[in-house]
Amino acid sequence: MAIQAPGKRWGPRLARSHFFSGHHSNAKKSTNADLLITPLVDMFVIIVLFLIANFSATGEILNMTKDVQLPSASHVKELELAPVVMVTSTDVIMNGIAVARVADLSRDDYLSIPLLEERLREEKKQTEELHAAAADGRAFTGDVNIQGHKEIPFKVLKRVMFSCQNAGFGNINFAVLDSGSKSEGTKTAELVR
Amino acid sequence: MAGGMDLGTGEAGKKKPLDATINLVPFIDLMAVTISFLIMTAVWTQIGRLQVASAGGEGDPTEKDDKLPPITLVLAEKEIKISVGPSQLGDAIPATRDEKGQLQLVKVQELLKKIREQIPEQNAITVQTEDGVRYEDLVRVIDECIGDEFPAVSVSPMAT
Repeated sequence: MAIQAPGKRWGPRLARSHFFSGHHSNAKKSTNADLLITPLVDMFVIIVLFLIANFSATGEILNMTKDVQLPSASHVKELELAPVVMVTSTDVIMNGIAVARVADLSRDDYLSIPLLEERLREEKKQTEELHAAAADGRAFTGDVNIQGHKEIPFKVLKRVMFSCQNAGFGNINFAVLDSGSKSEGTKTAELVR
Repeated sequence: MAGGMDLGTGEAGKKKPLDATINLVPFIDLMAVTISFLIMTAVWTQIGRLQVASAGGEGDPTEKDDKLPPITLVLAEKEIKISVGPSQLGDAIPATRDEKGQLQLVKVQELLKKIREQIPEQNAITVQTEDGVRYEDLVRVIDECIGDEFPAVSVSPMAT
């Protein structure tokens, strides 16, 4: 029996077929297929523009957790770097440490939260010392961001606000989700222009 | 070549083609790197801030000008009242909600616009809030006040 080269072997009936036996075309196909890269480049440009429109130079100021659902608002300013007091449905947290329980705050009639005030005063002292050491001429602004769960009652919030005020943080900012006075399409269009 | 530009090759018969091929590979590489960087550093949630002051505190905007009548918005669980100076403006507005449970503030908006027309110099408003009011409702009211050109909002508990 003759030695045959490896490869496809049709059965005897198909081997006689003009179409399946592979003898119908003698032209060799080119091995170099041209890839159309224009749509690819177009897509890349659109993705880059979209991502640049969404780019935030301030980065992540707030630590988002599933325990805190922020309320939304449309007339908002850009969030600035400041100490964050997080009020979840169960705890009041400052710098990752729980300083009070919401259940206790709802029960008591006092306004002040002593542990929160203490931590805020420490924060204020540190900030003032840092500015003094750096001699940058920048004064302590008293900004604080309150990241509150949308369902918390005002009874809890007023105690947090009072404690911030007592500790010298009078510029209170409520962190909210920007419901968008400007749509994404408008932002991208402005960027393209 | 008819209409072609002579590139000065010296040979009359051979001319270089004018449509030069741009090498797109470095461009695509740059795009890929940029996209990767932007996706890694992207902040997907758009977060902003609403600046408020505690009434009576050091940043309370309502204490700045005594000549203008103070505007007070009383936010209770069941109703909203707006007063200019000592007199209440209209009747109390019942707190109605839409199907998503969000507070409806159309009537509040109308009243605030009316006040804005009457006292255009006043840009401060105090929101007196009842203890049981949800934070979301308070934020909606503050947002409405800022939207109606009262940028200096101070928040205080309702006098009992």
